[in-house]
Amino acid sequence: MEALEKIDLQNVIEFLEENRNRTSEVSLNDVMRLAEVMADSLSEVVMETKPDITEEMMAIAFEIARMKQEIKKLRVSDMKHSRIPEAGQELDAIVNATEEATNTIMEAAESIMAADPSDIEAYQQTVNAQVMEIFEACAFQDITGQRISRVISTLNFIDDRVSEFIEQVRLRPEEEVDEGPEETAEEKRARELILHGPQLDGQGVSQDDIDKLFG
Amino acid sequence: MAVDLQMPILVVDDYKTMIRIIRNLLKQLGFNDIDDAADGQEAYEKMKQRRYGLVISDWNMEPVTGYELLKQVRQDPALCKTPFIMVTAESKTENVIAAKKAGVNNYIVKPFNAQTLKGKIEAVFAD
Repeated sequence: MEALEKIDLQNVIEFLEENRNRTSEVSLNDVMRLAEVMADSLSEVVMETKPDITEEMMAIAFEIARMKQEIKKLRVSDMKHSRIPEAGQELDAIVNATEEATNTIMEAAESIMAADPSDIEAYQQTVNAQVMEIFEACAFQDITGQRISRVISTLNFIDDRVSEFIEQVRLRPEEEVDEGPEETAEEKRARELILHGPQLDGQGVSQDDIDKLFG
Repeated sequence: MAVDLQMPILVVDDYKTMIRIIRNLLKQLGFNDIDDAADGQEAYEKMKQRRYGLVISDWNMEPVTGYELLKQVRQDPALCKTPFIMVTAESKTENVIAAKKAGVNNYIVKPFNAQTLKGKIEAVFAD
């Protein structure tokens, strides 16, 4: 009882009172903050009774502080509110630009196909004008290349920070392996209907291999 | 090309650009009666209305894929003999084998050229 009296419960009570009327969900930060308040409150009594436990408590407090720093370094807010939406916008712009360029090129090609070759001069003018349209439309490649570089940079940013976080919080491989999230309806459809999408070079079967199968 | 150039062809793809490309390639090869559909469901409805000489279909479409369309067509006694070519970016072995097992007549991996398309159409009608 004497030891319990030495516990400074005031900080814990204040912390709980401050958060009593909160309606939002408890975050990892809240848990860490509570752990810090508890550790501070217990420190005096623990130091007097068991020095070994004191060291252990200090190590835990240090780990909590370190983990908080690592979470800050993740810059989650920056990722969620800025980098990921921007990457999405870049990808949308790429889709639109490629579609627009493809349409322009196809229209030019169709105009050439439909042109009357009997009037050589007029035909030549049509071909020249449409070829210029094709050249101009091909400029999309430069801009989309730059947009893709920015998306890659965002992915690298996320990869670096998540990898560093995993390393710093010392996640063990056995902790990383779990049963995995439940299969979504989209994943189920892809599995059942064998939807893999385009493969990278060298990963899919070639047309020659397919032809042998049908030969 | 020992193929009937007057036969109606149904091109099934959810990308209008790809339909336009295939349509232009077919025109270059001499075909003129070309119809299109945006997915397997629309294609099946069109196939019930009109007898097509050839179906050229993509695999990955929503809500009904080309693979589902192929299986549906092969199970339908009125349509089961319709020549069917899959033109798709799905190039995993399991896709090719599944399509062959389901009764596809030929399989083209995107991107492809006019020569490949011509060769496969000829091969289907040579069988």
